[in-house]
Amino acid sequence: MSRVAIVDVAQSKHGAPHTRNLTVRELVYSVVKELLEKVGLTTKDLETVVTSSSDFWQGMGCSNVFYFDAAGAYLKDSPKVEEDSALGFAYALMRVLSGHFDKAIVVSVTKCSETPTISDITSFNADPFYQRPVGIEEVTAAGLQAQQYTSRYGLNDELRAKVAVKNYGNAIRNPYAHRRMALTVDDVLNSGILAYPLRRLEVAHGSDGAVAVLLASEEKAKELTDTPVWVKGIGWSVDHYMLGDRDLLDAAALRTAAVKAYKMAGITHPRKQVDVAELCETSTLQELLWYEHLGFCGKGEAGKLIAEGVTELSGELPVNPSGGVLATNPYVARGLIRIAEAALQLKGEAGRRQVEGAEVALAHSTHGFAGTHHTVVILGR
Amino acid sequence: MRKVAIVGTGQTKCGRRDDVSYPELVREAVKEALNDAGLTVKDVEAFVTGSMPSPMSGVNAPHLYWADAIGAYQKPIIRVATCGSTGGSIAHCGYYHVASGLFDVVMVLGAEKMYEGDPQAVMTTIWDFRYEKPFLAGAPGVFAMQAMEYVHRYNFSIDEVAEATALLSVKHHLAALDNPYAHIKERITVEDVLRSRIIAYPIRLLDICPVSDGACAIIYASEEKARKITDTPVWVKGLGYCGDEQMFADKDLVWWLAAVEAARKAYKQAGIEKPAKQIDVAEVYNPFTYQELTFYECFSFCGKGEAVKLVKEGFFNKDGQLPTDPSGGVLCTNPIGATGLQRIAEAALQIMGKAGRRQIPRVETAFAHAMGGSYSLNSVLILGRTK
Amino acid sequence: MVEEVKPRIVEYELKLPFRWSMGPVATRFFEEFKNKRIMGTRCPKCRRVLVPARMFCPRCFVDTTEWVEVSDKGTIRTFTIITFSFTGQVRKPPYIVGVIDLDGADVGFTHFIGGVDLSDLEKAAREIKPGMRVQAVWREDRKGEILDIDYFKPIKE
Repeated sequence: MSRVAIVDVAQSKHGAPHTRNLTVRELVYSVVKELLEKVGLTTKDLETVVTSSSDFWQGMGCSNVFYFDAAGAYLKDSPKVEEDSALGFAYALMRVLSGHFDKAIVVSVTKCSETPTISDITSFNADPFYQRPVGIEEVTAAGLQAQQYTSRYGLNDELRAKVAVKNYGNAIRNPYAHRRMALTVDDVLNSGILAYPLRRLEVAHGSDGAVAVLLASEEKAKELTDTPVWVKGIGWSVDHYMLGDRDLLDAAALRTAAVKAYKMAGITHPRKQVDVAELCETSTLQELLWYEHLGFCGKGEAGKLIAEGVTELSGELPVNPSGGVLATNPYVARGLIRIAEAALQLKGEAGRRQVEGAEVALAHSTHGFAGTHHTVVILGR
Repeated sequence: MRKVAIVGTGQTKCGRRDDVSYPELVREAVKEALNDAGLTVKDVEAFVTGSMPSPMSGVNAPHLYWADAIGAYQKPIIRVATCGSTGGSIAHCGYYHVASGLFDVVMVLGAEKMYEGDPQAVMTTIWDFRYEKPFLAGAPGVFAMQAMEYVHRYNFSIDEVAEATALLSVKHHLAALDNPYAHIKERITVEDVLRSRIIAYPIRLLDICPVSDGACAIIYASEEKARKITDTPVWVKGLGYCGDEQMFADKDLVWWLAAVEAARKAYKQAGIEKPAKQIDVAEVYNPFTYQELTFYECFSFCGKGEAVKLVKEGFFNKDGQLPTDPSGGVLCTNPIGATGLQRIAEAALQIMGKAGRRQIPRVETAFAHAMGGSYSLNSVLILGRTK
Repeated sequence: MVEEVKPRIVEYELKLPFRWSMGPVATRFFEEFKNKRIMGTRCPKCRRVLVPARMFCPRCFVDTTEWVEVSDKGTIRTFTIITFSFTGQVRKPPYIVGVIDLDGADVGFTHFIGGVDLSDLEKAAREIKPGMRVQAVWREDRKGEILDIDYFKPIKE
């Protein structure tokens, strides 16, 4: 794979009233404008913009039509990748790798404050015949998954709650994050059961936000920045659709995606070779499950990892120093935010959430019930 | 740059497909494409899927819903959706998968089940909720305003233009009779068109596409793989995509820059300087006959204001200088998410010599187009028989 | 293997509530609109006056902060007469929709055209012409929404 780099990123302050007051259009405009200003480019220099949103999550058919020119895409080549902005990143990467474009902007937006709840909308991810009538939606599926893990490995609730405490706490150091809270394990466990055994604070609720990332070919990237962040590996994959067809604790698609990404990036010992990871944890349990499938530890051992503080900001392999998706969940944009945060780490621009000396970062995204589809990106300095 | 070819295509019969569920429908197209290419699902390394807004069928993230049915389990899959231009966008995305060097064999699938929802109701949500919705909701109204602007721009009378659009409608309906996948199969006359009910003045019922269910799949391969898979690879020679402003009334609906630029970009890559001479067949995205005239001009098939005359002279007929839509086009078959891809599949079939009774002789270069949005998006793909 | 089963159809109604922010610019636009003032913003680069007022120019991609009032009179650029029905339709067909070039604006304004006898559709269609002058007919009871203008009626000028 020829060398392509992230040049720079821009994101909205996802919890700010200002973000909430702007339309989706104006939010997209603000992050793309900020990104262009950061790198000293204008829309004249752009040829392609890949956008990412979801019609259900915007209440508008053909959601990209609404913000098309706001993304700087007037008279440009601009497709929309739906549901997961990490896939928008993958597509933009392929455009640059093809040699047809020397740079590409990826931008994503979701305003959950304008939409019904995650449960309302993800009910529609379920097929109308078998799963929707029994109320399968994202939170329910996460509950099923969490309960299965608890049964199989005897994980206690406190260890799950530690993920929430870590992430909401990390978010305090992140000026862009939405939910920033110093909590105790008890705070989490007493927040009320949502989908047993998951409590309210263990599940990622919606946020408003937009994010934009500029990718460029090696030559162009070096012109535009002193701190290019190289895309070393990428993989994405999908699992079976029906929950009953899967072992919810065997994230086959994540393993497939990770194997591919690691192979490209030459990573054989993730636990040692990855310095920081930004994962998409739509529930506390999922972060633990993803540790195992990304090779940070063996099956059933994730509880140990969090108990020993390995994935804390001060630990050996910090996970979600940004606060992750629990803290900030503008649904479709969350994948690209993981990638942007990972890039900021490698650029040394992560402020008070900086992992010192980070050289290799892993960014992950997932969408679909109990993690149906996964994307893994390896970035390197 | 890596050369990429289409090595197989598949389409379903289009119309009202109450006989299958959505996953079953898309599976049909996938099986046909694999059959055509002589491949199995094991050979496919990645998938690109697309359709109109998912609220139209009431299942969100349909790529996940379809994944098992199309053989995508544990494979990379991406959903791209750009309104009516989706068929073109997914074709472009599949192309970039291979052109990037990350994949050698990629399946692209577009589909629509329009009878499972209320397409117009969903389409009303496309327009700006603050300013445009009460007026533009109802797609035919948008295209009717475009038609009136065209008539006015070149000082035609409505009747003059209506004669040409009626000829187009008759031409396409006749062609659809030869297309085993087409939806509307009716023998009509110019009088039938001119007497059909007005839907949104001046557009009449027979000037408008139907509502169809259907699916279409194509398979791309890298040069090395393509040569092993088929004797008739169809090479991608040029692509162009362009969109313009969100607000409907910001743009020139007649010299439509999004269409002009999309074609220009593709022509540049494909080395086409005289489209009418160098293109042997054009599958234009034509849900509305009046708009089709505008496309001929925006794509430089003829000069500004000349389409009416040339249509009447038979320039775009099957035996004319530049045959358009020998498949019958969108006017006769419109499963929207698949429609743009069907233009590409049909263009590929023409080059492969597999277009049956709709075959145009000696096709070297074919043009395929898709359009969508709040009158905002255009996609062009140029295919060639030689590398 | 051919199945002789005719698949059942399941009926369903999808209803989802949304609550969209208008954004600061549209909010101000409609405050003025309530007072029968149609506001645009001028792009500092291309100098076009964009109506309704915008936060930025879609072509030049720069902020547009200069607010300019435009006339509620204009010229018909194009129109059509809608005869069909669909879910969520605001007016009962037949009705006329058009794009109007308001005096002082550089882009079109989409709205209803009214005060025209539509009992003979084709006759009406030949009487309304692009180039005709029209003027807004404002509602008495205005709420700060696009339908505060009831329609644009043809005028003699």
